[in-house]
Amino acid sequence: MAAIVEGIGLTKRFGIGDAAVTAIDSVDIRIEERELVMIVGDSGCGKTTLISLLGCILTPDAGELRIDGDMIDPINHDLSSVRRDKIGFVFQMFHLLPYLTALENVMVAMDIAKTKEAEAEKRAIELLTRVGLSERLHHRPAQLSGGEKQRVSFTRALANRPKIIFADEPTANLDSRQSDNLMDLIEELRQEHQTTIAIVTHHEGLRENADRIIHLKDGRIISA
Amino acid sequence: MKALFLKDMRYRQARVVLTTLGITMLISLILLLGGIMNGMRIQAQQYVNSTGADIWISAEGSGGAFIGFSLLEEELMAFLGSSPGLVENSASPLIFAQARPTVNGKPTKAMVVGYTLGNLGGPKQVVEGRMFTPRKYMDYRPEDHVPYEVIVDEKMGLEIGEKITISKDEVRVVGKAKSLMFVLDTPLLFMDIRAAQRVLLENTPYINMMVAKTDSKYTPDEVAANLDAFGAIEARTLEHTLSDIMEYWVDQPMKAVQFLRVMLWLVAGLLVGMITYVTMLEKTQEIGVLKAIGASNSYVMTLLLKQVALISVIGVGIGFCLSYIFAAAAPIFVKINLVESVIVACISLIVCCGSGYLAARKGIKVDPMIAFRGEIDSTPIRNVDMPTTNVALIGN
Ligand SMILES: Nc1ncnc2c1ncn2[C@@H]1O[C@H](COP(=O)(O)OP(=O)(O)OP(=O)(O)O)[C@@H](O)[C@H]1O
Ligand SMILES: [Mg+2]
Repeated sequence: MAAIVEGIGLTKRFGIGDAAVTAIDSVDIRIEERELVMIVGDSGCGKTTLISLLGCILTPDAGELRIDGDMIDPINHDLSSVRRDKIGFVFQMFHLLPYLTALENVMVAMDIAKTKEAEAEKRAIELLTRVGLSERLHHRPAQLSGGEKQRVSFTRALANRPKIIFADEPTANLDSRQSDNLMDLIEELRQEHQTTIAIVTHHEGLRENADRIIHLKDGRIISA
Repeated sequence: MKALFLKDMRYRQARVVLTTLGITMLISLILLLGGIMNGMRIQAQQYVNSTGADIWISAEGSGGAFIGFSLLEEELMAFLGSSPGLVENSASPLIFAQARPTVNGKPTKAMVVGYTLGNLGGPKQVVEGRMFTPRKYMDYRPEDHVPYEVIVDEKMGLEIGEKITISKDEVRVVGKAKSLMFVLDTPLLFMDIRAAQRVLLENTPYINMMVAKTDSKYTPDEVAANLDAFGAIEARTLEHTLSDIMEYWVDQPMKAVQFLRVMLWLVAGLLVGMITYVTMLEKTQEIGVLKAIGASNSYVMTLLLKQVALISVIGVGIGFCLSYIFAAAAPIFVKINLVESVIVACISLIVCCGSGYLAARKGIKVDPMIAFRGEIDSTPIRNVDMPTTNVALIGN
């Protein structure tokens, strides 16, 4: 199987001097196509930092990163284009735009990728219907439940057919029934869309869905 | 999505409306002030232009007609009569003096113009009533008792036969002239030069200025230079006189207003910049999320600039229309110059959009990391040594 994401010797430090924190310390990581990976570890061990590095939101201080076979050069690469073409994100706090409806929130991602509006609308409706929100297309985030919001958020991440989706504690703000539903949905969508997914989570219960679990401790991978 | 920026604006309706309103008021004020100055310019010129004279002569050291204090002996007229380059008999004496006539018991402002009927310096006909009775003798004779009659500006609201008091004397309104207000709506009162000498100058043979027409064989510049060489007087061409008046009656006194206009521009720019900046601070999270999900800087910039541009265009547009309404309602003569105000409106638009752009440029430097962290130092990194900030903030 081909690696969608491959990091070698990734290191990320914050701050300088005495206050310096090495959040990610020479991490080698490989995520294969169509894998569902869970990233776990104690609070502060560097999970968010790791997926931010892999998702091209942070640039590493050292190490190499390949996404879908391409070497990422943070100086010369337009990282925003990597993010919009290859990567989808799901955030703990959903981060939907408050002034847009569910449908429009999904369409924005495609607008950013310059998809024609009619086509974007069609695909957004299809996807939202698939995740069971056909009755909520025109609701604003404020009118949606947490589970519904996270489903919209997941749909947004899927919209541009990314190679990989990174989700940072997507179930942290959901109750256990909602999280189970979301995880089932993620599993189904992964099969349907053949997407690779990496999820950071604290929920022990979610781990059973994973193909592989990556344990982080103090910025290092202790088991994968 | 075409309407993304509109949806954002609708979500922040109140702010958008208030900002637009602020720009509208500022722009209409800027244009109104321009209109007031333009109105003053028009009024400052119209009397001088209406006389048809192209040489204006005042006393030596007065700095020109209508500028400093100018008192000339009427005998100097004889000198003009023999000067070459002037149309024969065109030279005429003129009194042009500020007065405070009492109309219906109320003191008002006016300019008394004393001239010679049939000569340069006053109306050739009246729009109502009749011309004043002229003096019997052309030369000055103390016993020449010309009747106290005056032709008033039609805008003064006086009726034929009414009496007004100038200094201590009562003068009777016999006719109304087409309105030729002087600067800041100062009406003109026309009377025979002898009458003016009696009400204003204690019946002495003095005048304020002399006007004449140049012979077509000479240019006004040549004639003015020639006359000016004579010691007791200052001679200026029409053009020179107009520019003096403009400078002395409009541009100098209105300097503060010009300054105010520039300040208002700054305020307009600041307003847009400030609101854009504040909006941006509020949107930090949204911008960060947009960037995290792949939006380029230019995508975010376009989104913001479209809003700034729309608000500016609408604000300036309404302000433009409003300035005409204000001009019509203003208690003084205001004339907005279309070309000038279009230029001013365009500059205002550039000022507003420019400052919005500057604010937006600051705003898009959001770290997409904010999407993960929820909150982040929203101030862009200035000092890399600061331990709490992200060292490797990425720009795209
Ligand atoms: N901008 C920053 N400046 C300084 N230190 C930082 C910064 N961001 C993260 N860190 C530090 O890096 C380490 C890793 O943080 P990270 O957010 O990746 O942990 P995490 O595993 O996601 O934790 P949690 O489970 O609580 O979300 C932490 O010790 C954190 O304090
Ligand atoms: Mg985290």
